[in-house]
Order: sequence, then structure tokens, then C-alpha cells
Amino acid sequence: MKILVCLKQVPHQDARLDIDAAGTWIKEDNIKFEINSYDTYALEEALRIKDAGEAEVVVTSIGPDRVTQALRTALGMGADRAVHVKDAEIDGSDALGVAKVLAAVAKEESPDLVLMGLMSDDSNASAVGPMIAELMGVPNASSVMKVELADGKVTCERELEGGALEVVELQTPCVLAVQSGLNQVRYASLKGIMAAKKKPIDVKGAGDIGLSGQVGAGAAKTTIDKIYPPPKGEGAELIEGSTGEVVEKLVGKIKELGLL
Amino acid sequence: MGSILIVAEVQNGSIREASYELASFAQKLGREVHSLVIGSGVAGEAEAFAKKGGGTVHLVDAEAAANYNVDVYAAAIKAAVAATSPDAVLISNTPTGWDVAPRIAAAQDCGFVSDAFDVAEEGGSLVFKRRVFNGKLDAQITASGPVVATMQPGGTAPFEGTTDGSVSALEADLSGAKSAFVEVKVAEAKGVDLSKAEIIVSGGRGVGEPEKFPEVIQPLADALGGAMGASRPVVDAGWLPHEYQVGSSGQIVTPKLYIAAGISGAIQHLVGMKGSNFVIAINKDPDAPIFEVADVGVVADLFEVVPALTEAVSAAKG
Ligand SMILES: Cc1cc2nc3c(=O)[nH]c(=O)nc-3n(C[C@H](O)[C@H](O)[C@H](O)COP(=O)(O)OP(=O)(O)OC[C@H]3O[C@@H](n4cnc5c(N)ncnc54)[C@H](O)[C@@H]3O)c2cc1C
Ligand SMILES: Nc1ncnc2c1ncn2[C@@H]1O[C@H](COP(=O)(O)O)[C@@H](O)[C@H]1O
Repeated sequence: MKILVCLKQVPHQDARLDIDAAGTWIKEDNIKFEINSYDTYALEEALRIKDAGEAEVVVTSIGPDRVTQALRTALGMGADRAVHVKDAEIDGSDALGVAKVLAAVAKEESPDLVLMGLMSDDSNASAVGPMIAELMGVPNASSVMKVELADGKVTCERELEGGALEVVELQTPCVLAVQSGLNQVRYASLKGIMAAKKKPIDVKGAGDIGLSGQVGAGAAKTTIDKIYPPPKGEGAELIEGSTGEVVEKLVGKIKELGLL
Repeated sequence: MGSILIVAEVQNGSIREASYELASFAQKLGREVHSLVIGSGVAGEAEAFAKKGGGTVHLVDAEAAANYNVDVYAAAIKAAVAATSPDAVLISNTPTGWDVAPRIAAAQDCGFVSDAFDVAEEGGSLVFKRRVFNGKLDAQITASGPVVATMQPGGTAPFEGTTDGSVSALEADLSGAKSAFVEVKVAEAKGVDLSKAEIIVSGGRGVGEPEKFPEVIQPLADALGGAMGASRPVVDAGWLPHEYQVGSSGQIVTPKLYIAAGISGAIQHLVGMKGSNFVIAINKDPDAPIFEVADVGVVADLFEVVPALTEAVSAAKG
């Protein structure tokens, strides 16, 4: 069994979001990055499958040098090796461009399972997983909350609305885009971090995976014109003052509602 | 100017309200409108949709489509795209939409925009608006050519007018699925039923540690005689069981008073609590989107405000 886990490195959830000079993305210098929250659950699920039997877990990420850190963390948690796709030519790709690169990595690796996150915390696209499945010609399931493997088949529970779950059976290979909370994610142990130093990170460019000239900003079919703070509506009445004053006003409001 | 293809979604035998919202968007864009209705025994629904904004409805009525299956739906949508060559395919951003829509964009090698709350035409291109960074920023996206887009449910009002569309059967080869529907498990009733609570005090990721729920959030809920709730990351981390979760994948609540502490206000949380009569938000980030839906906001550290409020409420009760 071989599992490919796609990891995106994204701005830390508590990072300051300042808009860049072009007005089309945030300033990425001087902020902390982390592994996309949904992807940590995908990696954990892969490691659990490995712990329960035999599996090789390969992690892959597209991005600049800083992405090495995310891959090292994943190796420290227990992944076996990493493929880092790093190429200025890929910059500015839309979701389909990213999916083409990851599908090309998947083609080289031919995994039984591709695990990824439901969406990235920065672009919130929820696009790449099903796109890879289409490009590979394999089935997919998204918002996955449970994974069971038996007899060459994968049985998943997909989260629907209001807490309902859909059970679906997929042939392998398949692509699963996981929802947050499907497991409890481990931390890298000190021993794991030491061991990770010897684990290989393969660095590849667009040309190495046969995609030169086919991805990147020039090939993107959608463009971000601008990003901006959401327009403010009426908004809340802000209550200011010392904690004592604030609390007094809040109690007043609750009394007005007839709830005190 | 080309056409628009709406993929309507059948849920429990009827077309969802969100599909009528797609009809609103499509009709607003003033292009020729086509729709796809997929399901089993849904000819009547297809007729109704054609009369209410769906335009020319292409019907795939088959036993194989009785339940959602990604391979079957993808095959039906591809057949409808081949039959209509649309400029834009609109699908609702629901568990069905986000499972299948990106596949269509990949198959067509065209643009993809997800979870947009608005679409307009500008100089012959479609321009979408959507949230990024979990609601903290908005983005405007232009599709340079044909595009598949998922639209956020609630982004616009459902189409209310009448149109004179027609329904015709669409041939689609639905065989060869590599995945199979097994069953849908509905959510079981749990111990905590927040849907009936009059007052809810919810804590989010900003509460920081599991112990702080019994120490800080629950006491305020108790003092007010209300219930405790939470955002999803709190439940994901195992700090509280799922029955406390408010939001699109948790409970939909409509209390008289909802207090959100350390919750940013991502759309999936707002969907669950925006029906509350009165909302108080406590968050240290003045730009947190929760302040847009709150009636009263406090920009402060919840660990200062919440315990003090608990004390004041207890004192007021005497
Ligand atoms: C398909 C799908 C379904 C989902 N369903 C749900 C759902 O049902 N319910 C739900 O809630 N989410 C749901 N989500 C997740 C949602 O997108 C957000 O990730 C989540 O709501 C964020 O929770 P939060 O506001 O607690 O955390 P964050 O967004 O991380 O916000 C934490 C907030 O706490 C504030 N804060 C930090 N420390 C303090 C302090 N000391 N005092 C005051 N404020 C502080 C910060 O300023 C920040 O605004 C879903 C997502 C998807 C994709
Ligand atoms: N640059 C990337 N490198 C590796 N995986 C990625 C990258 N971008 C997206 N993904 C994967 O695709 C998932 C969905 O992302 P998105 O479609 O961008 O919301 C993420 O959770 C990741 O698993």
C-alpha cells in the first residue's frame, strides 16, 4: 500500500493579513506559515493506516523554499519521504494548475490512495482534490470523516449538512479530501524529528514532471483582480470602556431583552 | 453571448432552494439558460424548474441517479455540457457541489471558482466575488473563458418569477462508476439540544484550551440559565463533543440571546446562528467578521470580559 499525501503550507491561522502592493494577495514576508489545517488530518489518517499495517507514506507539496519546513514536520511525524515541487514557473497557477502538478506527481508515484485536505485555509478553493481525481481518471470523495480499507476497496463516510453522513465505497486508486476532525492529529516526537533528518526530500521542477509551459500564471484561466477587507455593513454597536463599564452595559442589554 | 448551464440539485425528492438561487443568478446574467436535473422519478420537479427560471431543462431520470454518486453525476453533467456548450456551469456549493464541480472544470480544462456569493458580467467576462482566508478577506475573480462555478447557498434570493421553459430527456452513459453509494446515516439526537435553548454562550478556538470551557464559558451559560455551544475547531480538537457544535455541519440555533466568545465568524458558523434574536460578540480582533452579524460587540480579551460578566449576571440575579 502506498499513500500520497498532498500538503499545502499556508499562512498561520493567527498571522496578520496585510494586503500586498499589487492588491491581489497578502504580504507573505515576515509572517509565520504552517501546514494547512485540513492537511494535517489527511497526514494523520495516512500515518494511522501505516501504523495499522504496511504502508509507505509519501508527502508532496508545491511551493517555495519555506515549504521544506512543512515537509520536515511531516517526515518528523512519520512520513517516509517527500517530494517538493519547486519552480518559479508554477507560481501564479490557479487550482487547476496546482491539480495538474499534483496529478503528475501522483502519476510518477502511482499510489493506491491520494489523501488531501478538503480546502486550503488561505484560498478556500476546495478544488484540487476532485480535480486530481478527474485528471487521474479515478473516483473521489470529499469531506471525508472516516476511512476504512478492506479487500482493495475504501469505504468512507462523507459529511453532509446538519451532521448527516453518507457512506460511499470507492475502488482504489482513489482521492480522498478529508474534513477537519476525522482524527486527533499527533505531534512529531523528538525521536521522529531526529529520524526525519535522514529521510529524503526529492526536489522537482515543472520540467521534471513533464509540465513545462503548461502551468503557472500564463496558463491560469481565472485571475484574482483584487482582495480587500469585506465591505462593512451596519455592524455591531461597539461597547467600549473598562471591563467594569463594558460588563455593566452588557448586563443592561441583557435586562432590556427581558432575560435577566 | 453563450449560455449558462445550471446543475439543479434534488434532495429528498425535490429541487433544493439553492438551485432556485442559481436560477436567479442565471436569469440576472441575461443569457440563454439551460438546466440539468438529475435523479430518479423527478420529471415533475424538472417541469416545475423549467417554469421557474430553469430555462431549457435537460432531464437525466435514471435508477442509477436515485442517490448521489460522484461518477454518475460527473457523467450526467459532462453530457449536459456537451449538449449545451455553456460559457458557465453553475452548481451550488453544497456537499454535492464541492464533490463533483471541480471534476467538471478539470474535464473541460476551464476555469473554476468556488463558493462565490455574487457573479456579474463585465466586458464579456464573468466576474465573481467570494470569501478567502475563512471570511477575513474578500476576493474578486475574473474568468477569462468558460468557467465552472459553485455558488454559496444564500448568496441571493431564490428566483420567484415564472418562465416558459421546456423539459427534454438527455442521453447520458451512467455506467462504469468506480464508486458506489451505500447509505445516508442521519444525525442521531444527542443529549444537548441547542435548537431549543433560549440563551447560548459559545466559545471558539480563541478559548485556547479545553479546560477553559468548564472554567470560563460554562459558568456564564449557567449564570444566564442558558446552554453552552462551540465552533467547529473546538469539537475537532476533541475539547467538546459534536453535540455542542453550532454551524452548517452542527446545529442550527435560534436563541433569544447568542454570545460568541473567541469566534471569528466564518460563514459555516454564521449559517448556524444568524437566526438568533440578539447576538453579543466578544473578540480581540476588531476586524473579525462576527462583528458584522452581532448586535453588540466588545473588542477585548474574552478572559477579562467573560468572567466579569458571569459575576455581574450572578449579582444581578441576586
Ligand atoms: C464544510 C465545512 C463545514 C463547517 N462547519 C462548521 C460548523 O458547523 N461550525 C463552525 O463553527 N465551523 C464550521 N466550519 C469551520 C469554519 O470554516 C471555521 O474554520 C470555524 O468556524 C472557525 O472557528 P473559530 O471562529 O472558533 O476559530 P478562528 O477562526 O480561528 O477564530 C478564533 C477567534 O478567536 C479570537 N481570539 C483569540 N484569542 C482571543 C481572546 N483571548 N479573547 C477574545 N478573542 C480571541 C481571534 O481573534 C479569532 O477571531 C466548517 C468548515 C467547512 C469547510
Ligand atoms: N501547493 C500545494 N501543494 C500541495 N498540496 C496542495 C497545494 N495546494 C492545494 N493542495 C491540496 O489540495 C487541498 C485543497 O486545496 P484547495 O483546492 O486549494 O482548497 C489542500 O488541502 C491540499 O491537500
